[in-house]
Amino acid sequence: MMKSIVLSSVAIAMLVFSGCADKEPVVEKKPAVEKKDTTATKKADAVETEIVSKEDVVIDENKLDNSESNEMKIARLQKELTTVYFDYDKFNIRPDMQSRVSNSATVANGPAYDYAIKLEGNCDEWGSDEYNFALGLKRASSVKKALVSQGISSSRISMVSYGESNPVCTDKTKECWAQNRRVDFKLLP
Amino acid sequence: MKILLGWIFVVSMLFANDATIDVIKKVQALPTMAIEDSSVSYDETFKFRFFKALYADLNVISLFNVDRNYREVDFDDASVAVQNKDMNYVLRYKMLKGDDNSLNVEIKLFNSDGIAFNKKYKISKKNIYMFVSHTIAFDINKFMGAPSVEWMKRRVIFSRVVAPQKTEIVIADYTLAYQHTVIKGGFNIFPKWANKQQSAFYYTSLDEKKPTLKYLDIRTARSKRVIASDGMMVCSDVNGDGKKLLLTMAPNGQPDIYLYNVETSKKKRLTRYGGIDVSAQFVDDENIVFVSGRLGYPNIFSKKIGSKSVEQMVYYGKSNAACSVHGEYIVYKARESSDAFETNTFNLHLISTKTDFIRRLTATGINEFPRFSKDGDAILFIKNYKAQSSIGIIRLNHNKNYLFPLKYGRLQAMDW
Repeated sequence: MMKSIVLSSVAIAMLVFSGCADKEPVVEKKPAVEKKDTTATKKADAVETEIVSKEDVVIDENKLDNSESNEMKIARLQKELTTVYFDYDKFNIRPDMQSRVSNSATVANGPAYDYAIKLEGNCDEWGSDEYNFALGLKRASSVKKALVSQGISSSRISMVSYGESNPVCTDKTKECWAQNRRVDFKLLP
Repeated sequence: MKILLGWIFVVSMLFANDATIDVIKKVQALPTMAIEDSSVSYDETFKFRFFKALYADLNVISLFNVDRNYREVDFDDASVAVQNKDMNYVLRYKMLKGDDNSLNVEIKLFNSDGIAFNKKYKISKKNIYMFVSHTIAFDINKFMGAPSVEWMKRRVIFSRVVAPQKTEIVIADYTLAYQHTVIKGGFNIFPKWANKQQSAFYYTSLDEKKPTLKYLDIRTARSKRVIASDGMMVCSDVNGDGKKLLLTMAPNGQPDIYLYNVETSKKKRLTRYGGIDVSAQFVDDENIVFVSGRLGYPNIFSKKIGSKSVEQMVYYGKSNAACSVHGEYIVYKARESSDAFETNTFNLHLISTKTDFIRRLTATGINEFPRFSKDGDAILFIKNYKAQSSIGIIRLNHNKNYLFPLKYGRLQAMDW
């Protein structure tokens, strides 16, 4: 069920996405069409020639769009691989985070199948020593084990720990510390 | 006699817990010292800056109660300034700018009998004046017959986090007055001096595909890749001759300690526990201490290289995640509170492996990364308190702590 929702949302996203790519040349062409319809009207000549030259550019942009789509696809898929948060001084996956890992496994096995996965372990600010880095790594390792148990090849997964050196939040609040105890997913081409 | 009394007092106070009370009492027990400036070159700002550096260094050697008043006198005056006539010691110095822009300093140390010690110093540029100040303090300490403060002349290397995934590696003097950024940009952490001469260092680069250990020769500015590992890669210690390294690596996501031979590039896995084993240090060529989570919380253990058994070293504290060893002494970081949602305190404690003696060395904030000086006389550490990062120094035999704040960024790791 989940899988089909994800797949259909991906499909919709793709449609919207490809729709956008198609639209652009149409938009650009519109004035040209209008020009033919409203032949009587004025000194649009100069503008028309500009539009023609723009149409050449549009073709180039289309090409660019295609080559960028890989990066954009990675960015879009990465958003579906949601960050997993951990308890203070712990590296086991909390029950409320299990579904996030399962969702990520579905994406990794589905639309993101062609990419390698990098798991980045992070910690809160309580300590900058090696133990804290190791804790970040064990968090990444817990997520890796969960992904592998859901059928993802371990050779696709690499890990790194950033310890406390990669905070998403630097306030001195409990909410902030909780946001930093996390494992982020990155997709590598 | 006063000095002797002072020493007896210091030794008796070693067993006390509250360091602040000691300092106040000891101030009365130490001999007094005043500083007099006789400089002929340089502006007032620089003259006062040098005075402050010397004042700080003379305080850190912990042998005197140093007078903070700045006074100017003629270098050749036979007697000390009127205000200083009751001082036990007076240190007079003269700074002179050389033709080659060098900084030349001449000192005279007066005691009740007249000039007791004098010496001249020269350094190529005035902006590295703090090293002259440290050397003067080193010499006066030696003249007074106190145990060597060789560490004062050593350089500290540290990594500073300036933004998420952005760090700098900086070489500094122990007071952080001198700071030279050796590696700007990138994500480089855990610097570790590669030899006694401090001419090269190891560090972890997280900019590569895998965490990578690199070696940078400061004199040639040449960097080379040493070894990489998935997950984690840290050089935790370098042995006396610089030929063996203790590394933390995690090729399968499992952080363990490895012994690495620099000459043969061969590595040997030393720990096999399924949890966390990190931060190994050489006790000697055959034994190491390290931090392990094998009790369910981080604590300090030791083992003989090649043997399977480990020995728990510390029995106090529920989360001891970092340590440094010198002879029979271990200084370690212990978590004092374990609240996930409140500010936590981490203090440094000193234990002897031969007695049950435990001494708490710090009182507030996050105190971590303890590093014994080579002679065991002092402990350098990182203190993060509120939003301020500092390097702290503990004079064990004098029961005194000094802090030198970092102007910006957060200290990640350091070595000296």
